[in-house]
Amino acid sequence: MKRIVIAGGGIAGTIAANRLARQLSPELEKGEVEIIVINASDRHIYQPGQLLIPFGVIDTGEIIRNEKELLDSKIKLVIKEISKIDVQNHSVITADGTAYNYDELVIATGSHLQWDEVPGYRAVYSPWDLESAQKLREVLQSFTGGTVVINVAKLPHKCPVAPMEMTLMLDDYLRRRGLREKTEIIYTYPVPGVFGIKTTNDVMIKIFEERGIKVVSPFNVTRVNPEEKTIESQEGEKLKFDLALGVPPHKGAKVIEDSGIGDRRNWVPTDKFTLKMKDHSDVYVIGDTTDLPISKAGSTADFESYVVAGNIVNDIRGNNSTKLFDGSVFCYIATGLDSGTYIRFNYNYPPVPPPPSYVHWWGKLLYNKLYWTVTAKAIV
Amino acid sequence: MVKIYKKVDLTGTSCAGPIGELMGLMDEINQGEAVEALLKDEETKNMVVNWAKTVGLKIFEERKEGNNFVVVVGK
Repeated sequence: MKRIVIAGGGIAGTIAANRLARQLSPELEKGEVEIIVINASDRHIYQPGQLLIPFGVIDTGEIIRNEKELLDSKIKLVIKEISKIDVQNHSVITADGTAYNYDELVIATGSHLQWDEVPGYRAVYSPWDLESAQKLREVLQSFTGGTVVINVAKLPHKCPVAPMEMTLMLDDYLRRRGLREKTEIIYTYPVPGVFGIKTTNDVMIKIFEERGIKVVSPFNVTRVNPEEKTIESQEGEKLKFDLALGVPPHKGAKVIEDSGIGDRRNWVPTDKFTLKMKDHSDVYVIGDTTDLPISKAGSTADFESYVVAGNIVNDIRGNNSTKLFDGSVFCYIATGLDSGTYIRFNYNYPPVPPPPSYVHWWGKLLYNKLYWTVTAKAIV
Repeated sequence: MVKIYKKVDLTGTSCAGPIGELMGLMDEINQGEAVEALLKDEETKNMVVNWAKTVGLKIFEERKEGNNFVVVVGK
């Protein structure tokens, strides 16, 4: 029997596992293949949905499900912390000392917030953290105006368009509550502009201008002073705020560091086309875990899952064929609380967002809902 | 001789953009280390070189490689 181990049961690991289960259904039925997902928790959070919580668009309960219910019934779920990924000996070791040997491994251990890398950053509210997103909802409800600073601490981070969304949704939220005239919104970003892709930045920065949002960039945060309520940058800026929203620095999982298989930020070196871990033919890397300069987003993981699953199926069936990833990403961008646009791109074709419309806002909400029944289950 | 910490292919579309990607990497390298970046075109190469000079990084090498450009940038 061949064993496929998937290390991590977030968006990437879950979609990859379900896509494999669909494609290898005959082998699973005959007992020729086994798929095991190892994850520290039985709780599955649809993290992109966290962005909508502070603005009251959705409730926390709508973005949490039980992992077991999401996985194909033929997949084995192991709820354990992973302590080491031993690619030399083809084994994943859990905290209780159990070794899960594999014939094929998918690493989907994700990206994780590093609040303490920037002194004082815990004073910043962040929808990238579920608890903080919930607190921010309460804070916004009692907000009466002032200066709001929005900050991205470091690139890359998950959901790259979300800081723009957060800013534009906040703008709309405050207008609806009659507080926009009493509020200055300042957007700070590590590179010039509001976003790293020029074609998208050119469109989005105009929307920021139209909405009266001040942009301070490049702005690379060095510290936040919770008492003074100030945020400082390498570039020498010091901004005062009444409320700060932001994105803490991200890193790959600690187990990547403990296993000695990542770079200095714990991203795993990955071939941009095959999605194999560099120099390892039986290890694939998916989602935020890769070191690929594309986008750490759920849609990226979804697109990658076709390649990872396809190549593992080819390996197992002995097909002499390789699927290649083209760098596809699709992200809706909320431009308010009833409007949105989107970007769809790959390695070779940068995106130009279409004019914002209600249709794309509706599409974003629908995509969130369909995650549970379609995307996570790898139906399409 | 500068030590290459990592070679990165930045010819594709990336949400952080080439400077955003390199900025993150520059935070990770030590003095005497560099990153070898493969860039899509001359415009991107010039943008990266100008940014590097502005923020006090060193350009160890610039070269054309086929239709792309290579910049070795570091500390």
